[in-house]
Amino acid sequence: MAILVFVEDAGDELSQQAIAFGRSLAGDSDPLDAVRITNDGAGYAPAAWAHALAEVISERRPAAVVAPGSERGNEVLAHVAARLDLPMAAHCTSVALGDPAEVVRLRWGGSLLEEARIHGSPVLLTVAPHAIAADGVLDPAEIESVAASEEPADLLVRVSERVPSAVAGVSLADAEVVVSGGRGVGSAEGFVALEELASLLGGAVGCSRAVTSAGWRPHSDQVGQTGTKVSPELYIACGISGATQHLAGVKGAKKLLAINPDGEASIFASADYAVIGDLHEVVPAISAEIRKARGS
Amino acid sequence: MSSWLFARRVVKLVGLVRAGAPVTREGAVGRRVRNEATIVLGQRKLLQRIGPGLMHAFIFWGFLVLGPTIVIAMIGAVSRHATLPWLGHQGWYQALVDVFCVLVLTGVLAALWIRKVLRPRRFAGSHLGEADLILALIATIVVSLLLWHATLIALGLNEWPASWSFVSNALSGLFGRGPVTRVLERVFVWLHVLTILGFLAYLPRSKHLHIFVAAVNVWFGRTGPGGRLEPLRFDDPSVPEEELRFGAGVASELTWKEVLDSFSCTECGRCQDACPAYATGKVLSPKLVIMGVRDAVLSEGDSKLVPDAVPEEMVWDCVTCGACVQACPVSIEHVDHIVDLRRNLVMVESSFPSEAEPMLRDVERASNPWGHPQADRAAWAASLGVRVLEPGEPPPEYLYWVGCASSFDERARQTAESVARLLRRAGVDFAILGPGESCTGDPARRMGNEYVFQAFAEANVATLNEAGVTKIVANCPHCFNTLANEYPDFGGRYEVVHHTELLSRLVREGRLSPSRAGHGAEAGAAAGPGSRSGSRSITYHDSCYLARHNDVLAAPRELVAAVGEPVEMKRSGKETFCCGAGGAHMWMEERGRPINAERVREAAATGADTLAVACPFCTVMLDDGVQSSGDALRVVDLATLLAEAVEEADAEAGG
Repeated sequence: MAILVFVEDAGDELSQQAIAFGRSLAGDSDPLDAVRITNDGAGYAPAAWAHALAEVISERRPAAVVAPGSERGNEVLAHVAARLDLPMAAHCTSVALGDPAEVVRLRWGGSLLEEARIHGSPVLLTVAPHAIAADGVLDPAEIESVAASEEPADLLVRVSERVPSAVAGVSLADAEVVVSGGRGVGSAEGFVALEELASLLGGAVGCSRAVTSAGWRPHSDQVGQTGTKVSPELYIACGISGATQHLAGVKGAKKLLAINPDGEASIFASADYAVIGDLHEVVPAISAEIRKARGS
Repeated sequence: MSSWLFARRVVKLVGLVRAGAPVTREGAVGRRVRNEATIVLGQRKLLQRIGPGLMHAFIFWGFLVLGPTIVIAMIGAVSRHATLPWLGHQGWYQALVDVFCVLVLTGVLAALWIRKVLRPRRFAGSHLGEADLILALIATIVVSLLLWHATLIALGLNEWPASWSFVSNALSGLFGRGPVTRVLERVFVWLHVLTILGFLAYLPRSKHLHIFVAAVNVWFGRTGPGGRLEPLRFDDPSVPEEELRFGAGVASELTWKEVLDSFSCTECGRCQDACPAYATGKVLSPKLVIMGVRDAVLSEGDSKLVPDAVPEEMVWDCVTCGACVQACPVSIEHVDHIVDLRRNLVMVESSFPSEAEPMLRDVERASNPWGHPQADRAAWAASLGVRVLEPGEPPPEYLYWVGCASSFDERARQTAESVARLLRRAGVDFAILGPGESCTGDPARRMGNEYVFQAFAEANVATLNEAGVTKIVANCPHCFNTLANEYPDFGGRYEVVHHTELLSRLVREGRLSPSRAGHGAEAGAAAGPGSRSGSRSITYHDSCYLARHNDVLAAPRELVAAVGEPVEMKRSGKETFCCGAGGAHMWMEERGRPINAERVREAAATGADTLAVACPFCTVMLDDGVQSSGDALRVVDLATLLAEAVEEADAEAGG
């Protein structure tokens, strides 16, 4: 059966996964069409893109349409579903085509897997990110470009402007490494050592509420319940006691290194690595070791 | 004409009240009568501040006593020779009249002194000009009455023995018997009557309306615990869809009690003075909220209450501590207004501080506001041998409701551990629900998400009822309040106690014996090796949801006295000052000066070395405050203090 895959870009990881998913559905013999929507200079407009994609679908009548489970993939496919008056399943991890098709999809923010039946043809679905590994890079030549619709009704909602954020460097929410300081840092100047370590590791600097209350760092640096939620590969907590309200923002971290002179601090209960010591000694020491290891 | 103007306005106001949404304020007649007697007649809440209280009491009681003189004056205005039968002839009554005229004048002068010279901050935002006019009218009424009596006496026309009314009698010396006095007599009586009639017409258009409405509002005030909020009925099949309420977005969606509240407000500002948000530089003034609501109701338009009548910031600044309700002399219930405004903002407009969104989502998704896995809920109890109630097992005598904070927050967890150890020690048959326990829904409800709250209430009630639970002990005052006062609305009726109530009873019964080493005089004698030396001075911070909303004052104090030397803060008991976490503020950012820092300052000023608390929120907020301020105060729950004292007693006995 013919499968149509909507991709955002050849280089986009989720699009590559969507292609892999599409290939697994199609089998070796059946045609797989990969389509991306272009807009000449005009900004992204979901209805316009969906209009164009829906026309392709009506022409080619695939058995299923697969899109990446990204914001844009979900949005465009949802509009397509509305246009074609078809159901759409988002964040699927697997699908068995048939009448009706059966999908397994993520629900409740990823905490549940739900088996569901989807009645409609073609089957419209988006792929849960990282549900399947990409099997090779896409050849851009294999992706068809289709122009987005230009009807004014489709352009009522569109991206009109992109304003770069004022934050220089890595954004806290996206950083792979976060070096975070709490009351133990002692002053605004005390953060210099943390900034150094963060820049050596290509990460961002965060802080706890005590620090923003004391005025040493701005609220935009605050990690926690009422601040930013971070999900780095490594979270280094320096002089942070580990209150629940702070840890609520760190749940996404893969590994946590805690540096604190108080061996009884509750942060150690959540830490993967621990150094019981004064951050003012330990952090510069880490930075020095990194520089030595890099031979600089 | 005056009566007609008065009546016309009253009819309109009554119409506005009756158009309000329904709310149940029936029953408990005995309590209501008692409230009328103490709050209205006895001026109890006004006398919470003795100076302004007496000032007002003089004027109020004066007008009660002088009531009949209005009729007498009207009769006398028509014919100077006539008066009320019997009463008009009583010397003792005229003596009373004279005395109270003087007291009223004293009150008016005191009021002017307060307003013009002392100028307290609580009047910021009130209509001061109106107040001045009213005081002037009151003064005119009593002065003209005294002078009328004086001229009657001078003319020999008094129907009562003149010597009784000693003030009027003395004043009568100013007047001769001649024609001037005859004219003056007419002048004074007509001045008196016309002022009263004018006042009558003006009254319902001013805040002086409170003299009629306040007594009614006091009647309809809460007779049960203050902490219970009225539920919204979403699924009631008998309520037609148009009448479904999602809080108050426009004036017509307010309940009749809220409309009545707004008409009762005298703009005295005592609520503003009591409010912890206002005291720490935030925008919220409960007085301005009620005044805004009143203006919106009277304008009869359909403009949005928020932000047109009440700025949105004010709605979110509130910590639902109830200090405003406690202070209000006319039983206005400001917290109800604010929660109703929040309900509309959250459920209809979806407009609320974004930092609270993760909390709401986590409560819905993970059944606790921090998003921790429910499976870990009983992790704190693992090594303590606490029984976790499984479905189908017989219920324990006490179900220990641990609450989300004590299950997951490392500082609050210590309380749960202490409670568990003490209950085991005392041989109490108890168990916890473990992962079967979800959030009571209190933070969602206080934020205005009534829908999520009700989902949780119904689920928890089902769990508790299926398990056959009859008695519950909770260590969190918010859980305690919700379980005891709000779950009955959803079919959950249990005997609920706070952990300090149960623990103090166990101490009284001798089932728990704390060491006396914390007490001064006996410290030397009782202190053994390894015990805390010297006396421990403890200041206890009353939790709003315990002391103010639920009248739990004595039990925690018994525990304090059992383990150390108590020293009270000025704002204690029902006058307690919030820690700042209520009203879902535990999950919101705070503007202005922090409320918890303010409270820690007050605690440190007592000179105590220990700040005892009985609530996990207070524990976290005040501990944070102490860490910031650097004061040498140990913030600790009463359960932990008691557990330590019991262990000390063991050490003394054993070692």
